[in-house]
Amino acid sequence: MNIPHDISQYNHHFKDYTELRVQENRVARISLTNGDVTGNVSSAQSGVSARVFKDGNWGFSSAPEFDDASVGRVVKSSTENVQFMNLKDTSRCGLILPDMMAEYEMDFSTKKPRENQKYWVDFAREVDGYIEKKFPELLSRNVVVAGTDMEKSLSTSDGSKSYSLTPRSFLVVTVAIEKDGNPVNLYELFGGLGQMEDNLLKPSDYFPKLDELVGRLKQKADGIFPKAGEQNVILDADLAGILAHEAIGHTTEADLVLGGSVAGDLMGQEVVSPLITLIDYANTFEGETCPVPVYVDDEGTPSKDTVIIKDGVLKSFMHNKESAQHFETQPDGNARAYAFSDEPLIRMRNTAFVPGTSSLEDMIASIDDGYYLTKSSNGQADSTSEFMFGIAMGYEIKNGKIGRAIKETTISGIAFDVLKTVDMISKEMSWSAGGMCGKKQWIPVGMGGPAIKCKVNIGGR
Amino acid sequence: MIQSDIANYCIEQLKKAGADKSQCAVSFSEQKELNVETGEMSLFRTTFDTNIGLSVIVDQKSGTVAINKTDTESIDDAVKKVMDMAQSSQPDEANDISPSQPQQSFSKGDEEPNMDKMYQRLDEFMDYVKTTHPTINMEAAIVDFSQSTSVFRNSNGVEFKTREGMYGFSNMFTAKDGKDTSSFNGMGISALNLDTPFIESGSAKRLLRQSIEQVRTKPVSEKFTGEIVVTPDCLGDFLGFITGDISDGKIISKTSIYKEKLNQQITDPRFTLHARPISDEITDGYFITDDGYTAENSTIIDKGVLKTHLLSLYGANKTGGQRAVNGGGAYVVDAGEKPKDEIIKSIKKGILLERFSGGRPSADGEFSGVAKNSYYIENGEIQYPISETMISGNIQEMFNNIGAISSDRIDFGYCIFPWISFKGVTVS
Repeated sequence: MNIPHDISQYNHHFKDYTELRVQENRVARISLTNGDVTGNVSSAQSGVSARVFKDGNWGFSSAPEFDDASVGRVVKSSTENVQFMNLKDTSRCGLILPDMMAEYEMDFSTKKPRENQKYWVDFAREVDGYIEKKFPELLSRNVVVAGTDMEKSLSTSDGSKSYSLTPRSFLVVTVAIEKDGNPVNLYELFGGLGQMEDNLLKPSDYFPKLDELVGRLKQKADGIFPKAGEQNVILDADLAGILAHEAIGHTTEADLVLGGSVAGDLMGQEVVSPLITLIDYANTFEGETCPVPVYVDDEGTPSKDTVIIKDGVLKSFMHNKESAQHFETQPDGNARAYAFSDEPLIRMRNTAFVPGTSSLEDMIASIDDGYYLTKSSNGQADSTSEFMFGIAMGYEIKNGKIGRAIKETTISGIAFDVLKTVDMISKEMSWSAGGMCGKKQWIPVGMGGPAIKCKVNIGGR
Repeated sequence: MIQSDIANYCIEQLKKAGADKSQCAVSFSEQKELNVETGEMSLFRTTFDTNIGLSVIVDQKSGTVAINKTDTESIDDAVKKVMDMAQSSQPDEANDISPSQPQQSFSKGDEEPNMDKMYQRLDEFMDYVKTTHPTINMEAAIVDFSQSTSVFRNSNGVEFKTREGMYGFSNMFTAKDGKDTSSFNGMGISALNLDTPFIESGSAKRLLRQSIEQVRTKPVSEKFTGEIVVTPDCLGDFLGFITGDISDGKIISKTSIYKEKLNQQITDPRFTLHARPISDEITDGYFITDDGYTAENSTIIDKGVLKTHLLSLYGANKTGGQRAVNGGGAYVVDAGEKPKDEIIKSIKKGILLERFSGGRPSADGEFSGVAKNSYYIENGEIQYPISETMISGNIQEMFNNIGAISSDRIDFGYCIFPWISFKGVTVS
């Protein structure tokens, strides 16, 4: 579907506060399992949606067609929905949202000629062929080449207008080996912001990284069980990022605060080590574009960074217009929707701890007995900030040196307590670009950070 | 064009474009949704959508495209694209579509939502919570009605028509007393009608009551190996490892620990698991599989014996195994003999596991994770709600170490599960 860069011509349908969005999400995915093409899929989902606010209630409607008549229908349907709600409940009558104005266009599509499907099938096969030939001892190989484009255009009754095309693309390789009759696997994800042509240049670029991946898999297959209980650990960037997002970030989303999260009572207090500053970056970190850049959110609010924790002190929650009105503050552009048929929710964008001053080597050298945890498999957190992350890869640290690899495990803790134990933060920054966050809807997120040294609970028998 | 005409057009165009075999699914859907956000019912959504899924096989090479437009130009573009994708792929003799079957039509549920009733049920639920559980913060509660009509056709002459209307209710909440906060909790159900108040559905009442108790928790005092009682609300987290491990991905890649276990004992003989997508017992099942067969009910694990892998047509062709008669889901675990309260009374030292926040189990079934919204049990009595407590074990060992299966079960509409106690789990 052609997404116009400016859809304000349809504003004549608006009567009340209205957000109008036209959007297309395009997904392409090629999967190889042991050399066979087990997935060769493309999808495009597009349409128009309108959200209307009146007297404290919201009406929303969406439809797959996009023309003037369709816009008229979704605005009418949204208006009827809000009227239905207003007839039932007048208790929030008179509530007004803050006016926000923005005008921005951002297009991250490739400037190179687009490659055809055969090129990408062959790309995946070349990656797979390399692994098959070099590592015949593997039990299985799975290679995925995937890309997602989110293209959207927004116009609001406040006068905001924005257009964005934000693509992500990845090469994901999972390898498995048999050890004592049981499978052991490990994955690696390459890529991030941008279309495949910009991210995935040559299969051979990945060969050294694939050698390293299989090397780590073999270390893991010979890995030891970590000691259960509270341990000194270094969480590498991948883990620090997921801790920032899952365990702290979610508790500071204003809708979760209003839902009773533990952060609600902590504003202005020193909640973690003063070494820690935690920011939800809108689009740019130290002059570089973040993995999921947002310039104008889906309520038409211009995006800016949200400093959640500054030097250990809780400074801000993340807001949409309605929660900002409730907390008597301004929104920073955190209201985001995944599909054309989704309403904007309060979401993180690129959440990361700010780098410190230590070197990773010094951090490892400072631990006599502990673990260096490098890769997560999944993560969940709670309104209490209690978190759990799966650990897909890690090593023991003995007498200041990296030792043997460990088997898969989980770590857990109360994030606000764990982050009080942080005494070193590395100066290196690394972003993880493959994150998808689930909260009624899925949404792409960026996570990242330096490595942090802290104490966490390690699971195991 | 009506759906049948669209499906016919797609199959004809794919044939003209050179497809050896093809299938097409066309669906029109509408959803009405009332949302409570941070304690207030404040959003009413109406969404319309269409979906056309096209799959083709050319020279044993396959491709799949999905679009949500029904105009001829969009369909023609999609036909061109899917042909290009298939021709760009690699031949695989396992690619196939379902064979000719009698035409069938299926229908379930209301055709139109009762919006006033939806509002009334959600309002009544919120009133109940505010009145009887004032420390509960209802972060989100959603009631929706989804209705869809769809047509499935393939080039072997298969044609299935389906119409479904289904209500859903879900919620997420915490309790907050002063500065003390419980973990969040929540549940979801599917229903054909709104006859039952939401508070009486699924596990709503139990979870709300427990959340109030869970604002003040403590860790278990020592590491021990004991018995955990897994509630119906989180049994799926553990069963998911088994059902995932017997599905296409793991069986094809040979990384399943159950790949050679057909007709062998893989769990305690008291454990029986069914997939019943077309049973009256399961409200929210399905009529046809993604690869174009009418779904049938099946018993996956019968008294501990693995009776079937969950292979699709492709998975079966690829591995030489048998195609499953359904696509999994709609799970029903047979009830046991003791009421859950008696099971708890029989436990010397253990955990009542109400929610599990766990890492993805390793390929051999090893798992660990945090016991959420859960309780410490000692000498048959629930002692206190716990936090910062991890459990770990191995899922295949767990299902061979079942203590008891409860006679009482919870019907969520999309699955029916009992309480099951498992011995030999590490708690730390």
